[in-house]
Amino acid sequence: MKTTGKVWKYGDDVNTDVIFPGKYTYTIKDRAEMAKVALEDLDPEFTKSAKAGDIIVGGKNWGCGSSREQAVSCLKERGIGAIIAKGFARIYYRNCLNEGLPIIVSSEAVDAIEAGEEVTVDFDAGQIVTKKGTFPFPPYPEFVRGLIEDGGLIPHVKKSLGLS
Amino acid sequence: MGKTMIEKIIERASGKKVKVGDRVWCNIDWSTARDFGGANCVLQFEEVTEKKGKVWDPEKVAFTFDLQAPAHAEKVAQNQKTIRDFAKKQGISKVFDVNWGVGQHVLLENGLVKPGDVILGTDSHMNLLGAVGSFATGVGNTDIVASWFKGTNWFRVPETMKISATGTFKKGVCMRDFLTLLVGTLGADGMFFRSVEFYGETIENSTLADRITLCSMVTEMSGKVGLILPNGDVLDWLRARAGNEVDERVKAIAADPDAVYCQELSFDVNDLEPLASCPDAPDNVKKVREVAGNNIDQVHIGSCSNGRFEDIAAAFDVLKAANFQVSPTVRTIITPATRETMKRCAEAGMIQKFLEAGVIFTNPTCSLCTAEHYGVLPSGDVGVSTTNRNFIGKVGKGSHTYLMSPMSAMASAVRGVITDPRDILC
Repeated sequence: MKTTGKVWKYGDDVNTDVIFPGKYTYTIKDRAEMAKVALEDLDPEFTKSAKAGDIIVGGKNWGCGSSREQAVSCLKERGIGAIIAKGFARIYYRNCLNEGLPIIVSSEAVDAIEAGEEVTVDFDAGQIVTKKGTFPFPPYPEFVRGLIEDGGLIPHVKKSLGLS
Repeated sequence: MGKTMIEKIIERASGKKVKVGDRVWCNIDWSTARDFGGANCVLQFEEVTEKKGKVWDPEKVAFTFDLQAPAHAEKVAQNQKTIRDFAKKQGISKVFDVNWGVGQHVLLENGLVKPGDVILGTDSHMNLLGAVGSFATGVGNTDIVASWFKGTNWFRVPETMKISATGTFKKGVCMRDFLTLLVGTLGADGMFFRSVEFYGETIENSTLADRITLCSMVTEMSGKVGLILPNGDVLDWLRARAGNEVDERVKAIAADPDAVYCQELSFDVNDLEPLASCPDAPDNVKKVREVAGNNIDQVHIGSCSNGRFEDIAAAFDVLKAANFQVSPTVRTIITPATRETMKRCAEAGMIQKFLEAGVIFTNPTCSLCTAEHYGVLPSGDVGVSTTNRNFIGKVGKGSHTYLMSPMSAMASAVRGVITDPRDILC
């Protein structure tokens, strides 16, 4: 599995309230609609022009705050290819794997990557290829790979029960 | 090699021998959702099962209505109805509707939580149930929906850190201040994905309310769960509610003497002073004395962190020492965590005194943990609160919040500016 895309870069402690604006919590239920307002309060430019395959790069503690899964759904639905950060908030990390949205922790890569550049993530080789060099990351354990390959936790559970 | 509490809990729930880093499927004792998030769980479950799905065990699913209770808007009301209808259709009887209070507390008071239980909920402070040794964890709707298929979900076995506290709090100082000290010392990622075990005389002699306060803020240090082995009065309380099985459970989950911890920290609380999490992050910690005199517009006492009877009683004592007068320049709101708490406040005669002093005493709910409830702050206003987060705009765009103990919050309500409670109590 490999993905290449343009980078949208942000700082530390980006919380779920700004990834998916809290004001829409009760008004937007449809995933396609969620995708349209992703990061609206943080970066209107992203909201306007992010494309499928683009890559988000964040600092420490990406996705902190409320356990708001829409903050993952809106980016998954937008087609984001991967999120690379120095670290993820616990619930956010789990939600990403459960939604089948690939995430990678690499402080070195985050420091090297510049906003707007094109980056390739090779999940099988465990490599992030950037303008300033290639950064390794440990490939996913089999369990996590199974979740992502099946498209997330629910398809995974349904498959195990013979329901899909 | 010995096992920590979380390792023992996961071994019981998974039926497997585990070590740190393993990912295993666990049986879930309770899969819960609240009014906030619950409707999305219901809609998602109906969608992925084409409305034909049955939850694996209606006796192990519960709904709690706490974030916006009673509903203040039509959309919210509709979401709540979605949950009620689903519960009826599925034969789920544990629906704690808008008259109950904060979900985790309600589950606990109803004797549904035992040490060693594995509990899911759509609340990032679900893990406060670690106060009685249960592994409760906040998750997204996908996790809840997945668990409804066959009552299982996956967990990674976390590392465990051990925190010990000795000493006795001086007058005007309490567990919230110790907790704020921890947040300030360890920082927002100081417990990163870890389980934390709390020990020492300060913890062992503490009330259930204090243990809940402590465990509720593990989330704000990025921890998975904070666990305290029930003992003394807390164990008696729990046994009376949840039955005699709790004694066996306590034995089963106690950490081995040779358990392995990734980090061990010790604190002495004897000389601790009242502390505050200053705007706009829980780990921006200063002494209340350092920020005393700063102007404030609103004070809020309540929430899953500090909304129990003992918390409100501590605030009451400060108000009493100030001749039952709050400052007319500050809006003071008290929200009990549960109906049971509110009833106890009424029986103790506290509510009448609060009302006479000019306090707004609300029904039990999560209240001002979000900007989705009454008491929202306008831009530029500064609040004092006993909740667990003070990110910018959390309770109103452009507003700022200081997090403090119920005593410090009430002292500030009395004087109309940030005030060290010792200035009133001592």
